[in-house]
Amino acid sequence: MAREECKALLDALNKAIACYHHLVLTVGGSADSQNLREELQKTRQKAQELAVATRAQLTAALRDRGLGAEERAEFERLWVAFSGCLDLLEADMRRALALSTAFPLHAPRRPLVRTGVAGGAAGVAARALSARSLRHEAEGDFDVDDLREQECEILQVSEMIHDMEMKVNVPRWTVQARQTAGAELLSSAGACSVGAVSVQERTGPCDPSKALAATVFSAVLLAAVALAVCVAKLS
Amino acid sequence: MAGGRPGAQMPHLSKMERVVVSMQDPDQGVEMRNQRLRITVIPHTVAGSDVVDWLVQKYCISEEEALHLGTLLVLHGYLYPLRRPRSLVLRPDDTPYRFQVRCNWEQTPYFWTSTLWPAAELDYAIYLTKKNIRKQGALVGHEKEHYDQLHRKISHTWDLVVMQAREQLRAAKQRRKGDRLVIACQEQTYWLVNRPPPGVPSVLEQGPERSSCTAGRVQMTKNTEFYKREMERYRKALTRARVKSSVCLEAYLKFSSQHAPHDPIMSGCLPSNPWVTDDDTYWTMNAPSVTVPTKLRVERWGFSFQELLEDPLGRAHFMDFLRTEFSAENLSFWEACEELRHGGQAQVHAMVDAVYQQFLAPGAACWVNIDSRTMERTLEGLQQPHRYVLDDAQLHIYMLMKKDSYSRFLKSAAYKDLLAQAVIPPEAKRRVFPFMRKLPHSSPSPALLPASTSGEPVAAASGPECGDGGT
Repeated sequence: MAREECKALLDALNKAIACYHHLVLTVGGSADSQNLREELQKTRQKAQELAVATRAQLTAALRDRGLGAEERAEFERLWVAFSGCLDLLEADMRRALALSTAFPLHAPRRPLVRTGVAGGAAGVAARALSARSLRHEAEGDFDVDDLREQECEILQVSEMIHDMEMKVNVPRWTVQARQTAGAELLSSAGACSVGAVSVQERTGPCDPSKALAATVFSAVLLAAVALAVCVAKLS
Repeated sequence: MAGGRPGAQMPHLSKMERVVVSMQDPDQGVEMRNQRLRITVIPHTVAGSDVVDWLVQKYCISEEEALHLGTLLVLHGYLYPLRRPRSLVLRPDDTPYRFQVRCNWEQTPYFWTSTLWPAAELDYAIYLTKKNIRKQGALVGHEKEHYDQLHRKISHTWDLVVMQAREQLRAAKQRRKGDRLVIACQEQTYWLVNRPPPGVPSVLEQGPERSSCTAGRVQMTKNTEFYKREMERYRKALTRARVKSSVCLEAYLKFSSQHAPHDPIMSGCLPSNPWVTDDDTYWTMNAPSVTVPTKLRVERWGFSFQELLEDPLGRAHFMDFLRTEFSAENLSFWEACEELRHGGQAQVHAMVDAVYQQFLAPGAACWVNIDSRTMERTLEGLQQPHRYVLDDAQLHIYMLMKKDSYSRFLKSAAYKDLLAQAVIPPEAKRRVFPFMRKLPHSSPSPALLPASTSGEPVAAASGPECGDGGT
């Protein structure tokens, strides 16, 4: 169904934009590198592809005059979420451009701000691209060419937003969102404490690597106990 | 975010950025330490005292100034404290701080109000939702208020807000624990600076823009439009009248020295400042029509003809003087012209006729002596009467009075009598509590107050006595 497809595309776009936002936060800091710039570019391009696809689907759906009132309301909801996504993406792209120009990685090299972020962001980019992992090595001069591309892409996104406003008429004040205030607390998937400022160490149940380690350890322990029992019985 | 480049960066922000970048230099920058949190180690921590020492050494300033500069850096979010994140001050001890990257483009909120840039509200809503998730619904104080407010404002995109908040938290989990902590701190500081809690002044506020809108706008392309505008600007600048600054300043000094004793703020006012003592004798004594004017007021009439005419009492006395000289019709004519200029539009015709009949027609009752050229011009203009048709004649009469009658008035006996009879109101004695050591001044002059005033609300000033020097 068209609605499910649109929803899936929008979810993917949402994920890509969230990851892009997260990557932009570290530009100019101590974890900045050519790799980060390349990850930014890949995430950005993925987000743009998804945006174009979503837009095509949504425009087609909303232009269809034979749509029922309920369906139309649903598509309008998705439309409003989609335009919000694009606004966020444009703002993040502008921020990324401003920071990349302010902190160039090629010579003359300005010292990066020592922010304390040390690790790489390959996991975040992989999540955006829905890949298992990302292995690459960016060339030395990646960011120079990238800057020009960034400017073009920002203009493209602004044009897309402008087009959307002109072509499809969705009055925002009539759209009723599904989620109410505080709806984020009801879901179980995202309700773990992440990155709390205080030094509370929570062994949350939502850490897959830790869960795996725990199962392996308990399996080994059981095996050892079984062996010990056998040895005791034999002797 | 419809087009347009953001305005020029606020200059103090670019200066601060330069300071922060020079602090990052691996050889000559600030010394960095590691922060140890149970098992996580996060590098790049600075102590407050290190920052102050570095600033003192690099810019050769005093410690007080370095502390102030450091606090400015913290207030704008370039540096954030690790232990007490809400208290944005620089402490010169071993309190740990860390740097973060500030995008100066964002810090021009003057140009981007929330109506122009919906993403700002959306960003804040997403941040608050993330915090809500992390704290399991225990948002407090102003953040809870903002959350509810935002929910009312942008409830139509609330789906997006919740989706993005969850996704951003999941994306953050892909990082190491130390990085996650750092990024969370950075975000918190960012929002503390951009949406300060109530009671904390916002550092990003700018006053009203006084210069023209084009000042400071970065021009993207120097095309023909730009050059045309520049040419127009320079052409206008050439036609401006110019005065030598020496001449200007002399006139300014003369004005200031002449008017200083008359200014209630500079020299206090007698008998007492009504705003301080709740006694409005000052106003009743200086009312427009009063039988005996104050000495200061009479002296002011001697400064310039304009002062004399502006004061209704002065004008009345001048009229009496002119009557003794048989040239009162000049002043009457001037007053009639003023009425015409400031009167209603419907009465313009009638008034022009009346003035003509009374003052300008040959053989009129109060004929005024205007030179022939001005008279010709005025009579021509009377064919199509409007509000300003008598301006030339009025100016001529005004200059006549100023050069001739005014100087005679100042030397006349009438004026000297007025000066002699004018009163100097005595300074009102303030009733004070018996145990006050210093007698508070009843008409404090802020210009003469010492730098550190006492905190007592009743004793508004302990300044020097300036009442006697009022004349």
